Amino acid sequence: MSPNLSLYAALALYAAGTIVALATLFTREKRPQHIALGTMIAGFVAHTVWIGTICVRTHHPPLTNLPEAAGFMAWVIFAIELALFIRYRVHAASFFVYPLVLMLLTVSAVVHEPFVKSPAAISRLFITHILLTTTGVAGLLIGLAFGGLAWAQDRALKSKQRGALWDWIPSLNVCKTVSYRALSIGFSIYTLGILAGILWSYRTSAELMDLRVKQVGAIVAWVLFAIVLQAYVNDTYRTRRTAIIGACAFVAIMVAILGIHHV
Amino acid sequence: MPLIAVGVNHRTAPVDVRERLSVAPAQMLETLEELRALDGIEGAAVLSTCNRVEAIVSAREDVIEPIVGWLTERAGTARSEIEKHVYILRHGDVLKHLFRVASGLDSMIVGEPQIGGQVRAAFLASRECGTLDSLLSQVFDQTMRVAKKVRTDTGIGEHAVSVPYAAVELAKKIFGDLHGLQVLLLGAGEMGELTAEHLSAFGLEQIFVANRSYDRAIELAERFHGQAVKFEGIEPYLATCDIVIASTAAPHFVVESEHVHRALATRKRRNLFLIDLCVPRNIEPAISEIDGAYLYNIDDLQHVADANRELRQTKAVEAEQIVDREVDAFRRRLIAQDAVPTIVELQGRLEDIRAAELEKCLRKIGPMNAEQRAAIEQLTTQMVNKILHYPILQLKEAEEPAERETLRKTIRKIFGLR
Repeated sequence: MSPNLSLYAALALYAAGTIVALATLFTREKRPQHIALGTMIAGFVAHTVWIGTICVRTHHPPLTNLPEAAGFMAWVIFAIELALFIRYRVHAASFFVYPLVLMLLTVSAVVHEPFVKSPAAISRLFITHILLTTTGVAGLLIGLAFGGLAWAQDRALKSKQRGALWDWIPSLNVCKTVSYRALSIGFSIYTLGILAGILWSYRTSAELMDLRVKQVGAIVAWVLFAIVLQAYVNDTYRTRRTAIIGACAFVAIMVAILGIHHV
Repeated sequence: MPLIAVGVNHRTAPVDVRERLSVAPAQMLETLEELRALDGIEGAAVLSTCNRVEAIVSAREDVIEPIVGWLTERAGTARSEIEKHVYILRHGDVLKHLFRVASGLDSMIVGEPQIGGQVRAAFLASRECGTLDSLLSQVFDQTMRVAKKVRTDTGIGEHAVSVPYAAVELAKKIFGDLHGLQVLLLGAGEMGELTAEHLSAFGLEQIFVANRSYDRAIELAERFHGQAVKFEGIEPYLATCDIVIASTAAPHFVVESEHVHRALATRKRRNLFLIDLCVPRNIEPAISEIDGAYLYNIDDLQHVADANRELRQTKAVEAEQIVDREVDAFRRRLIAQDAVPTIVELQGRLEDIRAAELEKCLRKIGPMNAEQRAAIEQLTTQMVNKILHYPILQLKEAEEPAERETLRKTIRKIFGLR
């Protein structure tokens, strides 16, 4: 199968699944949610095929340019979401995660960049850096999504008003626990990824880092995520300030991802 | 074979009639055997709950009269008295009724979940007693499938419609699994007791009971296998308990903001759910502003229950559509299944004629090659299929049993079937 064919198939299935899932915000029916999940899983299979064909073709993980990294991150995010769904049956995360996965894979489909074949780009250290960073970011984004759900659930319980998400959101404890764990694990992996990147940069260019968009975005995101994580530790995650910092962290991480053009 | 249901329910009969007809589990075997012994009945099941008593039978003929007579005898009253309350359903209406009942659509509280289990128990009892024939078995299996589908697809039974259950639902929204939680029950009010009872069904670790009268606290604690605590010494329990239910007769606040502030400071990221079921209120309303504390009073819980009731009505409309679709599909399946023996016999008869006539014809024509023979075989087979098409279609589509029986007899006569 052509890599592009599986990519476009995954994209189409993700788009269909996302639209159906978002429609359930208004209908509140469970069946379309199940259909959406099934469609997304079918998309995930096509997505996996796409990643597999790239690995076979280039002999390294699909992490060396923006389309590859965005596609891989989308894959990891959906894999984590699927695992969490199996464990907690959380439908509400789909309202955040599906569009995010769709957006990242759209970046992969729309942006065309050549495969990087320089030895530096496919060195073990570089692959480790990208793999850890991507996985860490996926964990952090999932953490933010569940943090958003915890915040929405807290507001609904406090105001005694059901919002559109009431039926879909799991208990406050589940949202808080998943968010905290995803943020703490994601943050640790992300930190290791950044350290590996600094080491790789030092080895290849004798500099710890240059101040391009992706590096600045990544460091700013790291600081903001550290503040969000601290809010969880102090149990102040419900505040407006934490919500704003979380949103800023999301923007910073997106800037860092979209800043990956070439190594 | 006709399906018939005869019975009374909370809408058609007062409780004194229902109680005279109700069947205790210990009497079920005897009751089913009595029903099955009536002339013409092939299979029988009895559904007896506090809201309904129904005899569901498959029968060779119309057996309504004997069933009504049997019910009259059971009730020990005049037949005219029973006839005033009884409803009689036939064929597709029985299916629709059973699907609706098992899905909770015919219940006093729409969507209540217990009825599904009661229908299952009724059919299982009949199966154990050997009074369930193949038709009723299929109906039972399908009824349970439809009930499950309705509940899964619409979520009709998911939301609580009473104050104590609304409290349980909110507790689940906060804590998820209630297993291992600790509850502090303040006072011995009826609503508080009921709420604690519902919560205790979810595997709570401990219930602490505090009351002005310590003896009453001990009595209540024993009921929940909990622990009585002195009313004056409740503050330390606010720090360890996850749910606080206030239901005292005190005319002032028993739990105040500073108590909760101090308790939350030691709880480390654990939420506190406070339920105030008293008027005048026992928990200071300002507590609802504290992060990590969720306070609901009796009005809040009533609003939740009312909103859920409205939601169930909306879901009931969806559920009715599912039931209608399922009744239609299942009826078609039963009709097609009912026609199968006649169809098989008819096909066999015409195939015999075709094969015999073809053989005679081939003998007359003399030798021919394989291609020519296959062409003639195909021609005759197609002719037979065309001839059979409409009779089979009619047999499969005749909805009324009487119409189907007439059709079957006619076809058998025309085609000379045994």
